[in-house]
Amino acid sequence: MDGKIIVVTSGKGGVGKTTVTASIGAALALQGKRVAVIDMDIGLRNLDVVMGLENRIVFNVVDVIQGRCKLKQAMIKDRRIDNLFLLPASQSDDKNVIKPENMTWLCNKLRKEFDFTFLDCPAGIEQGFKNAIEAADEAVVVCMPEVSSIRDADRVIGLLYSRSITPKLIVNRIIPKMVARGDMLSHKDVVEVLSIDLLGLVEMDEAVVISSNTGTPIVMQKESKAGMAFNRIAMRLDGHPDLPIEDPLAQKSIWKKLGIKMGRKKGAA
Amino acid sequence: MIMFNTLLKKLMHRADDSKDVAKKRLKFALVYDKLEIKDDMLEDLQKDLIEVISRYFEIDRSQLLLDIERGEGSSALILNTPILSARHKNAPQRVPANR
Ligand SMILES: Nc1ncnc2c1ncn2[C@@H]1O[C@H](COP(=O)(O)OP(=O)(O)OP(=O)(O)O)[C@@H](O)[C@H]1O
Ligand SMILES: [Mg+2]
Repeated sequence: MDGKIIVVTSGKGGVGKTTVTASIGAALALQGKRVAVIDMDIGLRNLDVVMGLENRIVFNVVDVIQGRCKLKQAMIKDRRIDNLFLLPASQSDDKNVIKPENMTWLCNKLRKEFDFTFLDCPAGIEQGFKNAIEAADEAVVVCMPEVSSIRDADRVIGLLYSRSITPKLIVNRIIPKMVARGDMLSHKDVVEVLSIDLLGLVEMDEAVVISSNTGTPIVMQKESKAGMAFNRIAMRLDGHPDLPIEDPLAQKSIWKKLGIKMGRKKGAA
Repeated sequence: MIMFNTLLKKLMHRADDSKDVAKKRLKFALVYDKLEIKDDMLEDLQKDLIEVISRYFEIDRSQLLLDIERGEGSSALILNTPILSARHKNAPQRVPANR
């Protein structure tokens, strides 16, 4: 097997990297792929709680890299979703304990075991970021329709280009009624400013907060707009790159219907 | 309701929506961020420019000024130098770098 390593990054903190990683990872596993999600936020781990796997951690990514355990021993298998595995971050170390060459070694192992490996990147562009992008084949940049988030995204996009990676963009936390009022940048504005390919649009959705309260994957909630958006993003990553990206504003009712229809299909698969 | 608001705004020729302001500021910030150049790069550019200009004009090197100026919506590279005299038009002679 020769799987893909995809880094999820943003520059700015708190824009939704961890949410995106957990949700797309779960969606692809539900679509039948073997998926690993790796928390690269050493010292500030969160992917485990968002996925509801925090009380099953024994080993972490630093243990694997420093040879204290086998990769298999550290990967936590999700009991609700087949083929979904989490490699948690260490909470006690700092980002500098991992070197870029360690990532090359780790990712080569992961490529053999998984169709998709997602690396949840820490905020910033320092060592943690450098480690996360070192061995990545592809990159997903997450931003919010807001000035500082977009500026940071631009910086990160530039750094990825200099590593010969052409990233794709997810605009997260869109509030359609603010866009309609002219008080929030539309995804078209964002794409124009950043000149980058769009991978998907995710609305601001209370269901995201609720699902992170309970540690349940949002993509299992068929009524949630954000959940359905993540499902479609996963399909775009897995052989359906041309699945249309619906405008959360203009065609709201059609968008919703389409989302529910696709959700059912996946539920049956 | 939303539609009505939008329509009303258009009819009233309201000033820029806040998102238009955001977009303008962003576009400018991104250009400016990328223009941030290291000092030694500007120095090198100055040396190279002096060499090229000296092929055509006699200039006062000590007075030459090179700067990046930030304006409304764009940035400009400004070169300012007093010209002492023009060199012979048909035979722009090469000036030794150490002159
Ligand atoms: N589409 C959304 N709708 C509503 N809330 C969201 C959405 N996406 C993310 N959030 C919330 O925003 C907060 C930040 O999200 P998240 O932790 O995924 O960001 P992050 O980029 O990983 O942050 P950090 O840089 O700290 O790692 C969380 O509370 C999350 O629940
Ligand atoms: Mg995070």
